[in-house]
Amino acid sequence: MATTTATITLSSDVADNSFSVSNTATLSKAGSTSGLDKTSGLRRRTLASTDSVDLIQLDHFQETGEVITENKAAKVYIKNIGTSTAEHVKVCIGQEDANADTEEIGHLYGGDWMFFPWAAVWTSADHNNNEDIYVIPSSADSVTLEWMVIYE
Amino acid sequence: MATTTATITLASADLLSDSLSLSSTTTLYDAGTTTGLTQYETGRVVVPSSDTNSILIDATAAGNDKAARVYVANKNTDEAHYIVISMNGTTIGRLYSGDWMFIPWSQTDDSADVEVYCPAALSTTCIVEYAVFHQGKTFSAA
Repeated sequence: MATTTATITLSSDVADNSFSVSNTATLSKAGSTSGLDKTSGLRRRTLASTDSVDLIQLDHFQETGEVITENKAAKVYIKNIGTSTAEHVKVCIGQEDANADTEEIGHLYGGDWMFFPWAAVWTSADHNNNEDIYVIPSSADSVTLEWMVIYE
Repeated sequence: MATTTATITLASADLLSDSLSLSSTTTLYDAGTTTGLTQYETGRVVVPSSDTNSILIDATAAGNDKAARVYVANKNTDEAHYIVISMNGTTIGRLYSGDWMFIPWSQTDDSADVEVYCPAALSTTCIVEYAVFHQGKTFSAA
């Protein structure tokens, strides 16, 4: 059984009294104390246009037999390894088709990272209604993302 | 200038054949600038047992398409207990006991709330801690 931990440390001097949170999660399978034991590995992708890109595509995992079981405890890490604080990459969940049922989560500026649970709902083999993670750069300047999925 | 940082460390000795050790720190800025975010709100709430989404963090017009970061943690301890996190009705995923998440939040419109529910099938309530660092919000009239 794999043991993987994710620790966050948040600290701020915004207020008179400093704010600090430190929390460690041991990444377990849904409803279990057994550790998540599958991963995409850490991947890197460079983008150089403002076109939307299906960054984490459920079909890819289905087609290679590495099925991400939906509605379990999968976690996603994404980082914009650029340095620009002016340009960002928009991160969305749902279908890549902009007219479809999608939701924009937020913007990753240079140096920003995010870590979140992923329902990974897969509906069909042609992306329709799949809850993929796709990204849209704010400029055509080259930007590189690193990402990883840890799942069951 | 206010400085807020968020650091993640992912570590495992046995998820891969080689050890995984990843650490990244980001400084939280206003959108498109190097000016630190200066506003935040935190909370600890008991989410009732229900299959209906409730608003955990309310999106407001003043925050639309600005920079914000959201932290949410499920503080229950039974491994079977989970909360479902959604945004504007779109399910993001499940946070099981002890899990946390940290995301940028662009509040595309007033409906882009961060939502939560603690499934009725669990027959329990769920303790949730959260924090949101942001650029501004629209205040409701008294």
